[in-house]
Amino acid sequence: MTRRYWNINLEEMMEAGVHFGHGTRKWNPRMSPYISAKCKGIHILNLTRTARFLSEACDLVFDASSRGKQFLIVGTKNKAADSVARAAIRARCHYVNKKWLGGMLTNWSTTETRLHKFRDLRMEQKAGRLTRLPKRDAAVLKRQLSHLQTYLGGIKYMTGLPDIVIIVDQQEEYTALRECITLGIPTICLIDTNCDPDLADISIPANDDAIASIRLILTKLVFAICEGRSSYIRNP
Amino acid sequence: MATTTPPLSSSTSSSSSLATHLPRFSLFPNPTTLLSLYSSKPPFFSLSSSRSLQTHLSCTKKDDIDITFFDEVNPDEDITFSPPEKPEDFIPPRAIDEPPFESDEEIAQAYEELYGPAYSGETYLGKDIYVMDSKVKKTTGFGSKGKKEKIRDGFDENVVQVRRVTKVVKGGKHMRFRAVVVVGDKKGQVGVGVGKAKEVISAVQKAATDARRNIITVPMTKYLTFPHRNEADYGAARVMLRPAAPGTGVIAGGAVRTVLEMAGVENALGKQLGSNNALNNARATVLAVQTMKQFSEVARERGIPMEELWK
Repeated sequence: MTRRYWNINLEEMMEAGVHFGHGTRKWNPRMSPYISAKCKGIHILNLTRTARFLSEACDLVFDASSRGKQFLIVGTKNKAADSVARAAIRARCHYVNKKWLGGMLTNWSTTETRLHKFRDLRMEQKAGRLTRLPKRDAAVLKRQLSHLQTYLGGIKYMTGLPDIVIIVDQQEEYTALRECITLGIPTICLIDTNCDPDLADISIPANDDAIASIRLILTKLVFAICEGRSSYIRNP
Repeated sequence: MATTTPPLSSSTSSSSSLATHLPRFSLFPNPTTLLSLYSSKPPFFSLSSSRSLQTHLSCTKKDDIDITFFDEVNPDEDITFSPPEKPEDFIPPRAIDEPPFESDEEIAQAYEELYGPAYSGETYLGKDIYVMDSKVKKTTGFGSKGKKEKIRDGFDENVVQVRRVTKVVKGGKHMRFRAVVVVGDKKGQVGVGVGKAKEVISAVQKAATDARRNIITVPMTKYLTFPHRNEADYGAARVMLRPAAPGTGVIAGGAVRTVLEMAGVENALGKQLGSNNALNNARATVLAVQTMKQFSEVARERGIPMEELWK
């Protein structure tokens, strides 16, 4: 795995507020290697370690996408939903930014059924058959379509289980993380001071509350994915 | 087929920044040596999934896990961040929130180039929209043959127990069937599974699927028996297993006998010492068999020749 330059500088991270953790009382003692100080009742993360893990994660992601692997970005916090969608679209990855339905990966066959239904509804809508039905049926189908669009919109291009999953907040997406662990899918997770770093495969200690910090980390990872993909396209 | 080893005892140093993990699926065919440069854990081990029969839901673990890269790790030294040099023509990437934004069409086209039309319902490159129908096997509806054939993957299924269980609801009694099934080829692989459904057949099928998900290997000697005596308990069920001379056959009761037969063990003695609950006894035999060690393993771990063990 080659190490590349990912434009990670500590000043940029400090500006985005990546080093802020949660309150002192809510910490997970397993995070003690990554916490450098305590200030005004908030833990401060050690940015050198964050930078190290982030560059490692970027290397890994670059390598994986240069072999043509599929990614999934999971982030359901309201603050982060928009940036997750944008980041995933930029990187041409699958994403989940509304609620993570339980069993999305472990019960993949059922999720596939829903995706089939989604596709059929889209086809019907495009063919205009919805307007020919009575109003109530059309309304029911439209509502189903909008529900499926919100929950499954980001994974509609997913043909099988993803190869790497990037999770934005471990506390929020605990079910998603558990599913990946049972299935054996490698995970990259943004860890805050109240999370467990041993669950994910690569855990990046960072602030998961501030939009700026999530944006920064996602930008770096997405950049790595894009680079890897362009090298995959050049020589498959 | 490798025997499963008990999980790695937790890490070489308690203060290391990241504790060791149980091995997972690897992205790369070879284990990465890069991470020995950093003082952090390597998350990926290559797994030899030699059985193509196993579904993607189960993981196989390599029997000898290579932890030699921890020899150079010093957990007390500080982690430094020394990125490689910035190349001269490096342009910082655009932030994800900044314009220009791509139009929906361009996005859909890019996705389609990468993944095919999948479930989106539209094509820009003229590909078949219903491509996913052929890839996904239809399990219900008129397309399939109804129920799948029972014989698949070379595993035999044996139903240990089927019971009718009840849940009392406001309207009366809600009956379901619970099936305990033992699945095995007679060559050393067994699995125990439970399944519940409203009909016996579907319960048995669910149990068989569950059993296939947790299959273990039975360490067997040349004469199709165990290497040594072992006991194990699961819940209130306690099972004792003892090897026997060739020609003895399997002398055990109920669930224990089924598990041993399905594993292909020819000569063994087994006794249910605690409760006689079928499922728990089956699970206890599986546990007992899992914790058995072959002579060669013990000799290797202790670093002594095998002849010493028989003195």
